[in-house]
Amino acid sequence: MSARSSTLASLLALAACTPETAAPVDELAPAEAWGEATPAPAALRRLTAAQYAAALHDLFGDDVVVPAATGPDLPLAGLVAAGSSVASYAPRAVESLESAAFSVADQVVSDPARRARILACDPATPPDAACRTETLRRVGRRAWRRPLTPSQLGRLTAVSDQAAEALGDPWQGLAFGLAALLQSPNLLYRTEVGTPDGGLRRFDDHELASRLSFLLWNTGPDEVLLDAAEAGELRTREGRLAQAERLLDDPRARAGLRAIFEDAWGLGGLDDLRKDPTLFEHAHPELGPDAREETLRLVEHLVLDADTDIRTVLSTRQTFLNPRLAALYGLPAPDPEGWRLVDLPASSGRRGLLGQAAFLALNAHAVSSSATLRGKAIRVRLLCDEIPNPPVNVDTSIPEPSGTTRTLRDRVAEHLTNPTCAACHELTDPLGLGLEQFDGIGRWRTTDQGAVIDPSGDVDGTPFRDAAELATVLAEHPDVPRCMARTVVRYARGTLETAGDEPWLGVLEDRFAVHDHRVRPLLLELVASPLFTVAGEVP
Amino acid sequence: MSRSSSGLPTRRRFLRGLLAGSAVSVALPPLLSLSGRSDARAATDAFPRRFGLFFWGNGILPERWVPEQEGPGFALSDQLAPLADVAPHLALLTGFQVKVPNRVAHGSGPAGLLSGMPAVDLGDNRITFAGPSLDQVLADAIGRDTRYRSLEVAVQPGGQGRSYRGPNLPNPAESDPATLFERLFGPSFRAPGEDGVVDPRLALRRSVLDAVLQDAAELSPRLGSEDRVRLEQHLDGVRELEVRIARLAEDPPQLDACVRPDPPAAVPDVDGRPQMSEHARVMADLSVMALACDQTRVLSYWFSDPLNDVLFPGTTAGHHQLTHDEPGDQPQVHEIVLEGMQALAYLLGRLRDVPEGDATLLDHCAVLATTDVSYGRTHQLDEFPLIVAGSAGGRLRTGFHHRSASSDNAGRVPLTLLRALDVPAADWGVDDAWTDKGLGELEA
Repeated sequence: MSARSSTLASLLALAACTPETAAPVDELAPAEAWGEATPAPAALRRLTAAQYAAALHDLFGDDVVVPAATGPDLPLAGLVAAGSSVASYAPRAVESLESAAFSVADQVVSDPARRARILACDPATPPDAACRTETLRRVGRRAWRRPLTPSQLGRLTAVSDQAAEALGDPWQGLAFGLAALLQSPNLLYRTEVGTPDGGLRRFDDHELASRLSFLLWNTGPDEVLLDAAEAGELRTREGRLAQAERLLDDPRARAGLRAIFEDAWGLGGLDDLRKDPTLFEHAHPELGPDAREETLRLVEHLVLDADTDIRTVLSTRQTFLNPRLAALYGLPAPDPEGWRLVDLPASSGRRGLLGQAAFLALNAHAVSSSATLRGKAIRVRLLCDEIPNPPVNVDTSIPEPSGTTRTLRDRVAEHLTNPTCAACHELTDPLGLGLEQFDGIGRWRTTDQGAVIDPSGDVDGTPFRDAAELATVLAEHPDVPRCMARTVVRYARGTLETAGDEPWLGVLEDRFAVHDHRVRPLLLELVASPLFTVAGEVP
Repeated sequence: MSRSSSGLPTRRRFLRGLLAGSAVSVALPPLLSLSGRSDARAATDAFPRRFGLFFWGNGILPERWVPEQEGPGFALSDQLAPLADVAPHLALLTGFQVKVPNRVAHGSGPAGLLSGMPAVDLGDNRITFAGPSLDQVLADAIGRDTRYRSLEVAVQPGGQGRSYRGPNLPNPAESDPATLFERLFGPSFRAPGEDGVVDPRLALRRSVLDAVLQDAAELSPRLGSEDRVRLEQHLDGVRELEVRIARLAEDPPQLDACVRPDPPAAVPDVDGRPQMSEHARVMADLSVMALACDQTRVLSYWFSDPLNDVLFPGTTAGHHQLTHDEPGDQPQVHEIVLEGMQALAYLLGRLRDVPEGDATLLDHCAVLATTDVSYGRTHQLDEFPLIVAGSAGGRLRTGFHHRSASSDNAGRVPLTLLRALDVPAADWGVDDAWTDKGLGELEA
């Protein structure tokens, strides 16, 4: 995308979407509110598959085909962001990254329009050595998220010159230089490791720029952000906030926000969703992607368009539907076709995330629902409770439906009466049984095996009659916003919190409440805070 | 057979092909593993010894797995029946136990057997091995002379396998036949006797990787010790790729059985279900030809992953769910185990059908076939399923059933295989899984 069209797009987005309620900077916690803490150390972070693709599209344009090359993302404690701080690139990925680098470089140098986007001289003329070097210097600053040192640039130049001469083609010279840029650890890792400073590690200007853009855009900084970093602006709270507001107002904030919630709720699993189409009439290969799109569109709408209390995502009757999902939900197809924001009927049992196919199908089996998986997801993903691994060496089977035990509630009764099982299952199953009126892919039903489903239960003592009430009770649960704030911090820092982080996490949770649990000010508070600018010393 | 007089590809040709005679000087990164590579081979017959791992997920039904008879010429059990055709090439080992704490269902078993160490729990039903898996230990020892140090293949669509270079560094398997074909037999592959002009880009690609290594060397001092280890793991892969590119400039080994295969047909789902048997055959054909062409000497073939919930044709639920919830004697689980054994029989049969000198490719292999639990319903690690196939060039005995009367340490089997493949391993595993004793019954 050219700079001009990108600006135009952001102006349009501003006009269309920016709510009037954005928190001015002076409503954020003052610097002194944060006090002292002992933050967790930071680590080198591998780019996720999505970040790698986004970074290359930023450099060369959205029309470049970026092959999948990083290897699968590896969640730690359910979060890809945390896994990225312990993972590396396997040999298979190194091989794929090499072919991807040459594939992308060749797409760029073989296409006049793409050349023109990056070339430091007349794109109609084959680039001489000086032009190639200058081009690599410019692309390199974006790609590596900081200016290249003379020795770094010298290496790229040598590779490029060597290839140009050996192959007798200056364009191929440039391609080899780009291929070297793209395979460097300076691109493939976020090298935000800080500099020792009084027992802590303080992130430098470029590390702060990278942290900001990956948090809010899920990709590397643009030129403006790099310029701000190099002008020292990100060292001040005000400078960071000014850039964070700019990033949040940019259309790319949508990709950033989607990445946060995709990771927080484990929606990556929807890529591999497998449901038995002989049992589920509405199961089809697009179910997983459709379901994710529904959920992420709703999050985008609530956070960036409406700037409202994020707990609404649990209780709302609004959602986004395409014709396939409308059919699954038993509703008329939206008109015109495509994705539409709709109000579910008041009589509908669906409320928010827990009534969406993404949650219901992901946390279920290939042929049936699962009270345990759904309840566990509520506990772990929404309340940040810890649920131990299922025991081994125990027969965990549940009985087949029979004349007397027809519904899942009857069949899992053993989970709740046998003391060995109940310790964990009483945390999960009563919540999941509240969603039993949705089958294994999220279609509404009132009976199972011919028996009427009882969807009532309680959440930590607060009773609910059905899924809609369960959603309302959870939306008021004090652990929901607490968990969301923590998850955003885990995501932003790529580490799980330690006890030393608690003072700052407590402040952030309080501030989230002050801002009526709106995610935009939560992100701004985080960016302004020491959670964002320092980390613990590395062992 | 002849693979040049020394059995080695010629480095001379590789150098001659550089840059099409251009006067440009390209710094050649050192080829670590090209030096001294003849030593290992000189000690054996002309054919290299290979390792294969065959893995299926979710275990077996022990009562239908263990044959009644022991010793040579035993009658196969219900679940082993599909292996009848290759039975003389098998050693069936029963009554062994994977001796790590059984803390993560479906994770502790493979980690305990294949790395000798307890699994590291990553939460949300995920684990990492705490160290390299058996195939990777072997790849370090016998994988250095081939284009691919090791090859990881999955039959289950999207299957990842459980091959680990180290903690948090899995080697994901390839489950797409077309991608696997492209990697192995795409444009850069040359069959024996096919002449090829060495592409000058090969040397340039290596200088790109050299620049990458230098970038990393500048970055490394800024990092903490754990990050340095991670970066170093990545760089091992870069150095491996340098060697692999160098191999492409060499003449292919003159192996009679190596022919360029046809591209595989896609294996589409039917009724939303993967066609596992057909897919297994396609992946086995490509894997066997990769071994026959000496593109790799270390294969791991993951029929299905631990904890997989594959909807097998004709079943009423995903595999994992069936192992827990199917009532009675679990006829559907039994059928799925049979599908796995049929896939194993096919792979072994294909290995046996490749002649190598007076013997067969299977004779030059040591294949370990195993799974993640014994009885899936209760995640047991005793009565652990272990099959060894092939004789590793005469180092292993086959054609018998040996039963441990005392729940012996299953780790003795990997240790035996390491030694049979010339890895001078003193011991295997840690804590209760530790052993320094190979399995005498298996050693020829």
